[in-house]
Amino acid sequence: MNKLIIPDLINSLNSILPEIVLSFTLVAIILSDLIFHKNKKYLPYISLIGLIITFVFLINQFGKSDPAFPVSSQLSLLSLDPFSLFFKVIILVSSFLIVLFSISSKEIESGSNRHGEYYGLLFGMIIGMFFMISANDLILIYLSLELLSLSSYILAGFVKTSLRNSEASLKYLIYGAASSGIMLFGISILYGIFGSTNLQEINALINTPAASQLTFLISVILIFAGIGFKISIVPFHFWTPDVYEGAPITITAFLSVASKAAGFAVLIRFLKVTFIDSFTGNGYWQLIGYIDWQTLLIIIAIITMTFGNFAALWQDNLKRMLAYSSIAHAGYLMLGVSVLSDQGLIAVLVYFFIYMFMNLGAFYVVMLIANKINSEEIDDYTGIGYSLPFLGTVLGLFLVSLTGLPPTAGFIGKLYLFIALVDANMITVAIIALLNTVVSLYYYIRVLRVMFLIKSDKTVSINLSPLSFVVLMFMAIPTLVLGIYFSPLVSFAKESVQLLGF
Amino acid sequence: MTESVLINLSTAILFLPLLGFIVTLLLGKKVKSVFLFEVFILTVVLIASVVLAFGKLSYFADDKITAEFEWFRLTDTFAIKLGFLIDNITVLMLFVVALISGLVHYFSIAYMKGDERYNRYFAYLGLFTFSMNGIVLTHSIIMMYMFWELVGLSSYLLIGFWFEKKSAADAGKKAFLVNRIGDTGMLIGILILYITYHTFSFDQIFSSISAGVLPFNSDFWLSVTGILLFMGAIGKSAQFPLHVWLPDAMEGPTPVSALIHAATMVAAGVYLTIRIFGLLTADAMMFIAIIGMLSAFIPATIALTQNDIKKVLAYSTVSQLGYMVMALGVGAYKFAFFHLVTHAFFKACLFLGSGSVIHSMHHEQDIRNMGGLRKKMPLTYITFLISSLAVSGIPLTSGFLSKDGILAGTFAFGSLTGYWIFAVAGLLVALLTAFYMFRLVVITFHGEPRDHHKFEHAKESPFVMAMPLAVLAVLSIFIFYTPNPVSAEQGWFLTKWINSPELHTPNSTRFDFMQSAEMIAQTNVSEHSTVLYSEQYSEAMHSAHYPAMFLSLFAAALGIFLAFAFYQWKKVNVDKLVSNVKPLYNFSFNKWFFDEFYQKTFVTGLFGFSRFMSWFDAKIVDGIVNGSATVTHAFSTFMGGFDKYVVDGLVNFMAYLSGFFGLIFRRVQTGKVQTYIVLVVFSIIIFFFFF
Repeated sequence: MNKLIIPDLINSLNSILPEIVLSFTLVAIILSDLIFHKNKKYLPYISLIGLIITFVFLINQFGKSDPAFPVSSQLSLLSLDPFSLFFKVIILVSSFLIVLFSISSKEIESGSNRHGEYYGLLFGMIIGMFFMISANDLILIYLSLELLSLSSYILAGFVKTSLRNSEASLKYLIYGAASSGIMLFGISILYGIFGSTNLQEINALINTPAASQLTFLISVILIFAGIGFKISIVPFHFWTPDVYEGAPITITAFLSVASKAAGFAVLIRFLKVTFIDSFTGNGYWQLIGYIDWQTLLIIIAIITMTFGNFAALWQDNLKRMLAYSSIAHAGYLMLGVSVLSDQGLIAVLVYFFIYMFMNLGAFYVVMLIANKINSEEIDDYTGIGYSLPFLGTVLGLFLVSLTGLPPTAGFIGKLYLFIALVDANMITVAIIALLNTVVSLYYYIRVLRVMFLIKSDKTVSINLSPLSFVVLMFMAIPTLVLGIYFSPLVSFAKESVQLLGF
Repeated sequence: MTESVLINLSTAILFLPLLGFIVTLLLGKKVKSVFLFEVFILTVVLIASVVLAFGKLSYFADDKITAEFEWFRLTDTFAIKLGFLIDNITVLMLFVVALISGLVHYFSIAYMKGDERYNRYFAYLGLFTFSMNGIVLTHSIIMMYMFWELVGLSSYLLIGFWFEKKSAADAGKKAFLVNRIGDTGMLIGILILYITYHTFSFDQIFSSISAGVLPFNSDFWLSVTGILLFMGAIGKSAQFPLHVWLPDAMEGPTPVSALIHAATMVAAGVYLTIRIFGLLTADAMMFIAIIGMLSAFIPATIALTQNDIKKVLAYSTVSQLGYMVMALGVGAYKFAFFHLVTHAFFKACLFLGSGSVIHSMHHEQDIRNMGGLRKKMPLTYITFLISSLAVSGIPLTSGFLSKDGILAGTFAFGSLTGYWIFAVAGLLVALLTAFYMFRLVVITFHGEPRDHHKFEHAKESPFVMAMPLAVLAVLSIFIFYTPNPVSAEQGWFLTKWINSPELHTPNSTRFDFMQSAEMIAQTNVSEHSTVLYSEQYSEAMHSAHYPAMFLSLFAAALGIFLAFAFYQWKKVNVDKLVSNVKPLYNFSFNKWFFDEFYQKTFVTGLFGFSRFMSWFDAKIVDGIVNGSATVTHAFSTFMGGFDKYVVDGLVNFMAYLSGFFGLIFRRVQTGKVQTYIVLVVFSIIIFFFFF
């Protein structure tokens, strides 16, 4: 079975060209950091160029559905499918934005002698996520997850002089280590049962009586816990508020979008590829018994969003509020997964794409303002709408979109989610989600109230650089336009629900 | 010239004004001369619409070009498509809108000079032009509704443009609210169409009706749907009984009145009725004819006694729109559109002429303070006179041709069905129109000046204001529409460009004369198939042509003669006459007391109802809301508390427990992280337990 054929391997290299480019960029960053010791100004530009080249190679893979690194005639380590392409696009776009964020971040500026590390580790994260998304094998999933995690532990504590940075980093590390331990434990049990770590092979073996139900259950729950840590769903979310608040804001934004995207990609692949029973063709997935996935996911989703929203109500720090709100959004996304249908998956993809723009946008405005006033407390935002009308309006747009009100893109994301729920006859769940949205309205609008309805004596002025303006527009325009004309996004998502082999 | 060129051209015509709006609005405060950009855009749009009309009429005169794309799709069955329907009516209407909009832009350069929101004014004009083009180009009822609301918005913004003036702000609100009533009916009609046909596209709806699919499977509901859709037209075209907003809308700048409240937007209601003509049953048409007749007659009587130059023109506009609507009701489809076009030109000319007068008289609008302006403003006088002749229906003008056609239509309708009342009303309105228009002309331009101070300062308007007047007056001459000055039947406008409409309604729901001869002869044709317009009606119209023409000519001449007798030669003592018929005069002067009636009934009733609702809101709803707020508050306090006390407590308890058992945890139990992990393990155990 394990006959490795060299030409196959070489052919497979073609399929991971984007990942290879990323690795080369990583090397280039480290080398130039070593060689040009003094001048680190162009490091972000090297990163941007690397990302653009990666994007070009990624576009070449559009529409492909191939296995890469085969271990036998049917099984492979990686799958290149439209589904992974969609998530890779999300990762790339958000990485691109994060690099641009970093250029104008004061926090990152302060650690300028270690910029080589910063961008290098950022690329470590990106490579980890890329492999995670297309990994078809538990070992590879684990390895890429570790690559992602280890890089992000360090980045969370990047500003060494900041106490809260270091605290965040340490907490993240310890928590993450425990989680990945739990996950690895689950993987080892699963290997013990089936003698394989390949998802498709496990899927084929699952119906054989070899497995004891209890051990199988334990292993799956343990793996689920490991993934749950990455996407910070309740009850694996405890690290999120502390780390999001403590880490540099660029990294917080990155964790809240890209890292979560990779986590969701793994979760969906793990669920669908491992447990799918038969493809019935009506778009609904028939999962193999043993575990009532739907109930489990619905309960977790509801708890997650309820917890996220209610906890966010009490936050006075905007960054921490956004952290809790991102937990709530993970809950909404989880609902889309819990429908266990292609329609639900489309909703998740659409939601994620929109979430990327609006969430990164909100973080970016918070960062620009924090650069100036050195604070993220909501009270310090009093009257910002008058002294900084442009930034205030744009932040308002992102917050309204996060709430999910028309005519912003956030509304469309929620609309598709609710339609998927209603179509699957999960009306009660849809109503609970709707009520949650109402709760979220309160804390998002509270920020708007503070910014626009309360006047303040202090006046803050920020000279927006052209770059910042362009970056803001890059996120604000999709947030508006996708609220009005969204057919292309939906059809892109529709083409991307196809996973390899299904 | 191919179809795709026409479609691209239409796209440009639609979106360029939007670009103008955005740019002018955004840069309005910083760049003083940005209005020139908007004017430039409109010039381009005008040229494009001329090219479009030329291309369509000379190469694709018989084709109906449609293009659509899917805007969005929510489920497999629910999708909304946007698109264009380009036929001859579309391109002619686009040309009318672009021309008048362009001329109004030029006119406004001088008229609005010195206004503090100069650029914003031009931005709003751009928004209006965009919305109006959308209405004209659309192929579906839903897209029409969207742009319908957009023109409502831009009309609201422009009526209340001088919002510092309370009357202007109120007039804007009144227009908006009154329009809501009509639009609600229209929306219900659209929804009935959608639940019946699952599409918004005119063509698809028509072909389904031809195939025999009816709303709720009944003829009656088809009539109701038609009337509901027509309610949108009642609101937008200021038809009886919702006509009260239009005279008040004269609070807006005068060029706006010319563009929006005389030539284009108010004609959108007629345009809508033209578009849905194929689904109107005999009952619906009868309803439309009656509404049109009342709207033509009532405002004409009101216009007799008004003293504000713009108010007279406003009532005249309602009356003429009523003419068009009545024409549609009696089946004179071609002439309704023809009158829409000719009326747009001469009424815009009249309004701009009044603007020219008002401008030179320093914002004096009361005609009793004018007089003798003929000598001071010769060009304004001549253009105003030509347009007044046109609106009165005097030969050699365009108005004569279209008005005569409509009257012939009412005569034909009378001879075929026996309902002669429309013909009588039409003639009466023709008489009244000629009278009040020449009352206006005589009092304003003839005789001796009454306010000498203002008269001394009056002077002819500058070129940018005079040029639009000249263009519009020239377009009020017959030669642009037909070579024969007494009949438009042989002209290119009606033979080549405007075709008779196709009817799609079931045969049983039509007027008898609408069922074509072959249709009745060929019994094997299915009852619901599409039939062209009937020949019987055309013949009747043809034979009614000359009687109608002479009678209307007589009526118009009589009206003009009386006006001169009353006001120029002073043969009749007007004041004495007025005191003799005081009640009638007051009734007309106070606009039939419509506003007072609405105030007493609907507004007061609504206030009473809203007081009740506010009581209900304060006592009952608030009680419920407060109750639920308390619950929500309690719950979130509980969640907060839960997090703080229970979760932390649990954590502490676990720590305590672990400490109690003296495990290794005790030594490293320093921070929160560790407790987090304990919690994770704990919840995993709970998972095992449950699943």
